Amino acid sequence: MLFRRIVLCALLVGALAGLLVSAVQHWQAIPLIAAAEVFEGSAEPAATAATAHDHDHAHDDAHAHDAAEWAPEDGTERHVLTAIANVLTAIGFGLVLVAAITTWEHLLGRPLASARSGLVWGAAGWLCVFGLPTLGLPPELPGSVAAPLGDRQAWWLLAACSGAAGLALLAFVRGPKRWLGLAVIALPFVVGAPHLAGGPFAGYEIGIARQMETLAAPFAIATTIATAVQWLALGGLSGWAVARWVRPALADLAQTP
Amino acid sequence: MQQQATLHLARPKSALLAIAMPVLTAALLGAVIVYGMGFSPIAAAHNAAHDTRHVNVFPCH
Repeated sequence: MLFRRIVLCALLVGALAGLLVSAVQHWQAIPLIAAAEVFEGSAEPAATAATAHDHDHAHDDAHAHDAAEWAPEDGTERHVLTAIANVLTAIGFGLVLVAAITTWEHLLGRPLASARSGLVWGAAGWLCVFGLPTLGLPPELPGSVAAPLGDRQAWWLLAACSGAAGLALLAFVRGPKRWLGLAVIALPFVVGAPHLAGGPFAGYEIGIARQMETLAAPFAIATTIATAVQWLALGGLSGWAVARWVRPALADLAQTP
Repeated sequence: MQQQATLHLARPKSALLAIAMPVLTAALLGAVIVYGMGFSPIAAAHNAAHDTRHVNVFPCH
């Protein structure tokens, strides 16, 4: 019963937030990705190989990822798939948020969930999966050269998980132990994010590298705004959904011994 | 209960156990979906969710 309510809430919340962020990124982040893809693949193969980039093929292809593999056609097919992927990702994040807000309300035993308190949860979620990881691994445009994928994924996960654990310590533990949370948040930065010498556009001709650099700052702003919109929508809607649909299920649960 | 004192829980531990299964299952399901969208090494999954990965700043390529 409780599980079904959480899942249904997350489906609704994720669908709405995913469609909203699709609309937002359609006019700001997607055009920048498209612009960068024009340059992607024009890096000199020797330089790219030297940077241990995990694609060693298809550098003459305008869309260098896995040219032999299936990829959506540019245009409607790609936009539709991006929207579906956004909705699914938002549902995934929504499941975690709704579950977390449900636990919070149930354990503290008061009607805490609301659209407003949800916004705080959304902001915390944004900090964990965008704010903190981005401090170590800045937003990447297609074509950027970076450390091996596995290293970056591992560091991203470390940053997101320590962020969540650290914020939880700061928020929910009373007494001096809560300040351990700051140390936990700082841990990934002590480890250090994986980076390559030479920067994200090493291997490109200087003119192309300059043009890609001019895209990087607007892309960082665009992703910051798009993800902030996504997380505030996710948080606000999750808080509202828990108050409306999960709270009655929790009340039933409390009555049955 | 030392832990309850520090966490200021209004409910006993049994309340946590009562919701643990549904809540953990839901969160795990969410994590699996996010992994599939943002981290899966399958090329078709990467290509289909490519722009989503870039905007969410999941490490990509």
